[in-house]
This record gives sequence, C-alpha cells and structure tokens, in this order.
Amino acid sequence: MTAVVEGTGLTKRFGTGDATVVAVDSVDIRIEESELVMIMGDSGCGKTTLISLLGCILTPDAGELRIDGALIDPVNEDLSVIRHGKIGFVFQLFHLLPYLTAVENVMVAMDIASTKTDAAEKRATELLTQVGLSERVHHRPAQLSGGEKQRVSFARALANRPKIIFADEPTANLDSRQSDNLMNLIQELRREHQTTIAIVTHHEGLKENADRIIEMKDGRIVTT
Amino acid sequence: MKTLFLKDMRYRRARVVLTALGITVLISLILLLGGIMNGMRIQARQYVESTGADVWISAEGSGGAFIGFSMVVEEYMAFLNSGPGLAPDSASPLVFAQARPSVRGKSTKAIVVGYKLGQLGGPNHAIEGKMFTPSNFEDYRPEDPVPYEVVIDEKMGLEIGEQITLSNEKVRVVGKAKSLMFVLDTPLLFMDVRIAQKLLLGNTPHVNMMIAKTDTNEQPQQIAAGLDALETIEARTLKQTLTDIIAYYVDEPMKAVQFLRVMLWLAAGILIGMITYVTMLEKTQEIGVLKAIGGSNGYVMGLLLKQVVLISVVGVVLGLILSYVFAAAAPIFVAINFVESIIVVCISFVVCCGSGYLAARKAIAVDPMIAFRGEI
Repeated sequence: MTAVVEGTGLTKRFGTGDATVVAVDSVDIRIEESELVMIMGDSGCGKTTLISLLGCILTPDAGELRIDGALIDPVNEDLSVIRHGKIGFVFQLFHLLPYLTAVENVMVAMDIASTKTDAAEKRATELLTQVGLSERVHHRPAQLSGGEKQRVSFARALANRPKIIFADEPTANLDSRQSDNLMNLIQELRREHQTTIAIVTHHEGLKENADRIIEMKDGRIVTT
Repeated sequence: MKTLFLKDMRYRRARVVLTALGITVLISLILLLGGIMNGMRIQARQYVESTGADVWISAEGSGGAFIGFSMVVEEYMAFLNSGPGLAPDSASPLVFAQARPSVRGKSTKAIVVGYKLGQLGGPNHAIEGKMFTPSNFEDYRPEDPVPYEVVIDEKMGLEIGEQITLSNEKVRVVGKAKSLMFVLDTPLLFMDVRIAQKLLLGNTPHVNMMIAKTDTNEQPQQIAAGLDALETIEARTLKQTLTDIIAYYVDEPMKAVQFLRVMLWLAAGILIGMITYVTMLEKTQEIGVLKAIGGSNGYVMGLLLKQVVLISVVGVVLGLILSYVFAAAAPIFVAINFVESIIVVCISFVVCCGSGYLAARKAIAVDPMIAFRGEI
C-alpha cells in the first residue's frame, strides 16, 4: 500500500535547558491510503504534537516527513500550501468562524486555496448535504448544536479534497449519541471520498471503528 | 469570498463603528485646529492689506507696526510727506488700539482704528449708513469738536443709531463697514483719529503708527530701509508687516496648538493601532485556525489590512466632512484650506494604515498550534 504520511525519527522538543520537554521522541510512523487510524494515549503523551508535526503545523527538530510521497522541506517550503492542499483539520472545539454561516465556513477553506466563489459554494453545499446539514447551510455556528458544528468542521476539512484528515478529539465535546452519529458519518465520508483519516482520541469506545490503533506514551509510539 | 473581511466587520460592528468614529473625531479636530489657525492668518492679513499702504512706520524699538508699544508724534507726517519715494500726501496717521467697549451693556473686545477719513487706514465709504464726521485734522484741539461717531463692522449685529460706551463716553453708530474682523473675530471700530486719540490715548498728539504709499516708480523695500535707518522710527514694507503680524498674533501663540495637532495625529495612529491590536488579540484563535487550515500569512494579513484600510478610509473621509460642518457652525472664523485638508487626510490615512499594519503584523505571528486549544 502507498503511505499518505510517513514520518521517520520525528522529534519535537519544547522549552530550553532543564525545562526541555521532549513531546515527540524519535517517532517512526506510516499511515496508509484510505486508512482510519486512531492515535490514543494519556493526556500529555504527545498525540496532538504528533498530528501537528504530521499536519505541517509544527516543524520537527529532527526527523523526516513525507506527505503523499514527497519529502517536506520545512525551511524552504511554504507549509501553508501543503496544509490547504493536502491536509484537512478537525478540531476538538470545532473552531468555526462565528460570523459566517455553515456554507461560508466550508467555503473559507476553498477561498484559502483560491477556488472561485461559485465553485466553492457549490462544493460546500454538496458537502454539507453529505454530512446531513442541507437544511442548515445558512445557519451560523451559534445556531447549530455541537454535533452539527462538528459535521460542518468535517465538511470544511474535506473541502479541498485532502489526502488526509487529522481530527483532534472530535468527539470530546459531543454526547454519546452525537459521537456515534459522527463516527458513522466519518466511516461514510471515508468510503465516499477515499480519504485517509487520523483521529486523536482517548475515547476507548471509538476503538472499534479504527483500522489500526497507535498507542503513545511519553512521546513515543508503544503499540501500532 | 471577497466579502469575508466585511462579514467579520459586520459581526464586530460596534467596535468598527467606534474605531471609525474615534478617527473621525480626531481627524476633524486636526482639520479644525488647522482651520482656526488659517482663519486667524486670514484675519490678521485682511485689514492690513485692505489699507492699501506699502510702508508701515512705528516707534523705534516697537518691533514693527502692531507688535510692540508704539507712539509716534504727528510731526513726522510733514516729514514723511515731504520726503522722497512716498506718494504725495499719502502718509496717514493711524491709531490701532485694543479696547473693551460696552455694547448693549456688555463688555466686548474690539479694536479701535482711528484714521483720517479719505486717507489710508480705513474705509472711505460705509456699506450702510454714513461715515463718521471728519475732524479738521490739522487743528489738534479744535474749538468745535466733532461728535463721537463710529462705523462698525457689519457683523457686529448693532443697528445704526445705537450707542456704545468707550472709555466712559457714548459713541454713536453712524454706519457699517464691510467686515474686516481682526484675529479671533475681533471687530474693528472705525472712527476719526482725533476721537480715537481722545478716547484711547489720553488726548495726546500721538498715533500708534503712520502708513504711506510709495511712488509707483519706487521699491517699497528701499524706501522702508531708508526710513528704518532713522533713529526714532522703524519702517516695514507691507510684506514684512504681514510676516510680523502673522508671527506675533498667530504662529507664536499657536505653537501649542501646532504641537496639539501633531499629538492628535499620533493619537489617531495609536488609536487605530491599539484597537486593531486589541481586536487582533481577540481574534488570535481565529487567526490560528485560518493558518492551521492553510491560510498563509499573506492571506490573513490581507483580511486584516482590508479591514484597517476600510476603517481608516471611512474615519478619515467622515472626519473631513465633519470638519467642514463644524467649521460652518463654529463661533469663530475657521478657514479650512482644501489642499491642506487633502494633505492632512492623506497623512492621517497613512498613519492609521501604518499603525494598523504594525498591529496586524504582530497578530499574524500567531502560532497555528493555538487552533488545538481554547475557543473562538
């Protein structure tokens, strides 16, 4: 199988001197195409730092990263282009822009990628329909429930047809019914869009949905 | 989505409106202060220019006409009229003295201009009513004194036939002259030089200055320089007199105002910079999210700068319009110079945008990792 994301010896430290914390310590990781991976572990074990490295939000202190087969050069490359071109993000607290409607929130991701407004609106509406929000496209985040906000967030992540979506604790702010619905939706979207998905979670109940579980402890991968 | 920045502004409209209003008020204040100074300059010039005199003569050590204390004896009149370079019989005596007449029972500021009717120093015709009765100027203490009459500025609001009190004497308004307000809307009261001497100079045979016209073939600078060389008088050309009067009555006293104008500019810049920065601080999470989902620094900066530019344009243009409205309603003469106001507007726009840019630059340094924490 082809690796969508492949990290070798990835290391990230924060702080200096005695206060240095090694958040991610020489991690080798490979996520295959169309895989649904769950990265699990206790709080502070380095899960979010790892997906930030894999998602080109942070640059590693050591190690190499390949996305879609291409070696990432964090010094000379514009990482924002990789982020909007190949990666989608879903955040624990949704992070929808409060002054935009659901459809506009999805369109923002395409605006960043310089997609024309008409085309962006068409795709955003289609994606919102797919996530079951066809009746809520013109609602603002404040008018949506937590589950609905997270669906908009997934639609936004899918907007630019990314190679991989990183979701950070996507069910943490949802009740169990909303969590189940969201996981069903994720499976559906994955089948439909052939998208690779990596979910950071400590929610044991979600394990059954994953193709593979990556367990982390103290910045290292202990089980994969 | 070209309107993304507008949607954000609409969402935060209270702050946007307050920022624009803050800039509007500051810009209109800057323009109004400039307009007040400009108005003072115009008023300082208009009487002096209206006399038609080329040479202004005051007492030695006075620093020039209108500046320091000056008392000149009338004997110089004969000397000036017989001297070379001046137009025949053009030398005219002039009393120019600040006064506090009582007008309709209220003490008012005014400047008394005492001159010889038909000569340089004041109007020869009233636009309403008549000119004051002239004295026999050659007779210093006439046996049959002329009545106390005054020609007032048309904007003083008095009617012909009314009386004002000046140095405890009743002076009757007989005519109105075209408005020639002096600095800070101080009205001029035109009267016969003898009456002015009697009421304001203790009935002495002195005047504050003498004015004259040069021969058409003569250069005023040379004539003034020649007279200035005399030990007991100072002589200035019209140009020098205007420079002196503007420096003395406007530029020097208004130094603090000039300083205030610069401060207001800085305040406008700091205001928009500060509000932009505070707004940015409020939006760090949003900025972080935009960066996390792939927005480049340029993209985010574009959004922020569009807002800064729009707020600056609205604030500055409204400030320009408001300054003209305030100028029209101001209780003193305000003359906003259009070219100057355009320059002020441009500089203010640059200051506002510059400070907004600095704040935006600071804001886009937000680490996109912030998207993994906190709430928008």
